[in-house]
Amino acid sequence: MLNIVIGGSAGSFPIVTNILAKLDKSFSYPMFLCLHRLKSVRTGFVEALRLKSSVPVFEPHDREPVINGHVYLAPANYHMYLTKGNTISLSTEEVVNHSRPSIDITFGSAAKSFGSKCVGILLSGANKDGAIGLKAMKDSGATIIVQSPQEAQVKTMPMAALKITEPDFVFTSSQIISYLQKLKE
Amino acid sequence: MFDENDIKLLIKALNDSGGYDFSNYSLKSFMRRVEKVLYDNKIDIYTLINAVKIDNVFLEQVVRDVTVNTTEIFRDPSVWQALKYMVLPRLHARKEINIWHAGCSVGMEVYSMEVLLCEAGLLENSKLYATDINTDVLLSAEKGVYSCRNSEEYMTNFRKALCVNPFNREEQINIPPQKYFDILPAKDEFRVKPFLLKKADFKKHNLVSEGNPFGIKYDIILCRNVLIYFNQNLQNKLFAQFWDYLSDDGILVLGIHESILGPLTAKYEKKGLIYQKKLI
Ligand SMILES: C[S@@+](CC[C@H](N)C(=O)[O-])C[C@H]1O[C@@H](n2cnc3c(N)ncnc32)[C@H](O)[C@@H]1O
Repeated sequence: MLNIVIGGSAGSFPIVTNILAKLDKSFSYPMFLCLHRLKSVRTGFVEALRLKSSVPVFEPHDREPVINGHVYLAPANYHMYLTKGNTISLSTEEVVNHSRPSIDITFGSAAKSFGSKCVGILLSGANKDGAIGLKAMKDSGATIIVQSPQEAQVKTMPMAALKITEPDFVFTSSQIISYLQKLKE
Repeated sequence: MFDENDIKLLIKALNDSGGYDFSNYSLKSFMRRVEKVLYDNKIDIYTLINAVKIDNVFLEQVVRDVTVNTTEIFRDPSVWQALKYMVLPRLHARKEINIWHAGCSVGMEVYSMEVLLCEAGLLENSKLYATDINTDVLLSAEKGVYSCRNSEEYMTNFRKALCVNPFNREEQINIPPQKYFDILPAKDEFRVKPFLLKKADFKKHNLVSEGNPFGIKYDIILCRNVLIYFNQNLQNKLFAQFWDYLSDDGILVLGIHESILGPLTAKYEKKGLIYQKKLI
């Protein structure tokens, strides 16, 4: 089973909303979102993502078993680790790259737990979180995609990843969407 | 680097030399904590294992360092709203209200509770008990002095927890934080007002091995963001113990992203964000 893991920060919210809106209802892979949010926007985020999504979106509980076709959003102020047993574990350990949730943490755990059975996508963002994790995913055989810096609202995050690893694809958001749509075939 | 066998040796050493049993901590997160200890001390795992065997002071330090102590004033305001509107009203009839904060860290959760009780007019009748395995955090808890670094978040939490009525968003509630806290950015101090100090009984206690720390029944037990570091067996054991320690209509409050899974689900009724003890 393939797992889709997406990280993003400033400028990624409209893209994620768009991805979720355009997915087919029968999208059958589990998807994990690790998105930085403003400290003031702790609540209402998952509701906002749900509004237009064609697939169910949740903030998982610790040890929650993963269901195919569901989307899991890392809760505010928790790191989200993905595990081999297909459960999610949460932790309030120190911030990483000034962030909790940290994308490096979620990506790093995906690299360890899923190996090649995984697609990692890094979107627009204003810091370097996610680059190291994305590289780890690549090194363990995952397919990795970076949003094209030209298109990204804030390019720091995609650029940081491109500096240390060579993604399988550098895609615009519409290419990312059609890639995900084709996955189910 | 180190592997699971090395971790087992370390866990055995911590148990043999210090009586701390980490064998039922969730292995992954425990390994991450140990990694951090090794990194901070610039030593390898074998040096660490040997050091905890011979140096008790160092062992205690390691125990403190492997715990995760993140906390906030009024962390997750919706939980406090639930307590305010769903739980506290029915405790008014009580002569005495007993509350246990298990894994209280530096005490912010305890002082948040005191504020909530004070606003409800219940503080005088309440007894607060708070425990943690980490003696450093307990010392800060007793002082009630924190850094200002996150004070804006604390204030946002404070307002949401106390000044918003989720059942009637129109309602205007105005409670100035200065009633309870002195915020001194110049000194980088976020201070709990003296009248709230000394109210709670802070005590060192290990949830893994020590049973009921005060030997009484509690109306509310809060154990938030502690069990996420334990494995399922240990979680189940604690859910069973908490059930025993709760009064008949007692309430268990877990972290907002934690839930009771497994055999003990039958013994609690989930009511929104809180668990009610079920008599069966
Ligand atoms: C993340 S903090 C949670 C603080 C607070 N309850 C909150 O949610 O904001 C977890 C606390 O649990 C404590 N802890 C970990 N293992 C423990 C044990 N075996 N017995 C008692 N406390 C423990 C840690 O020292 C730490 O202070």
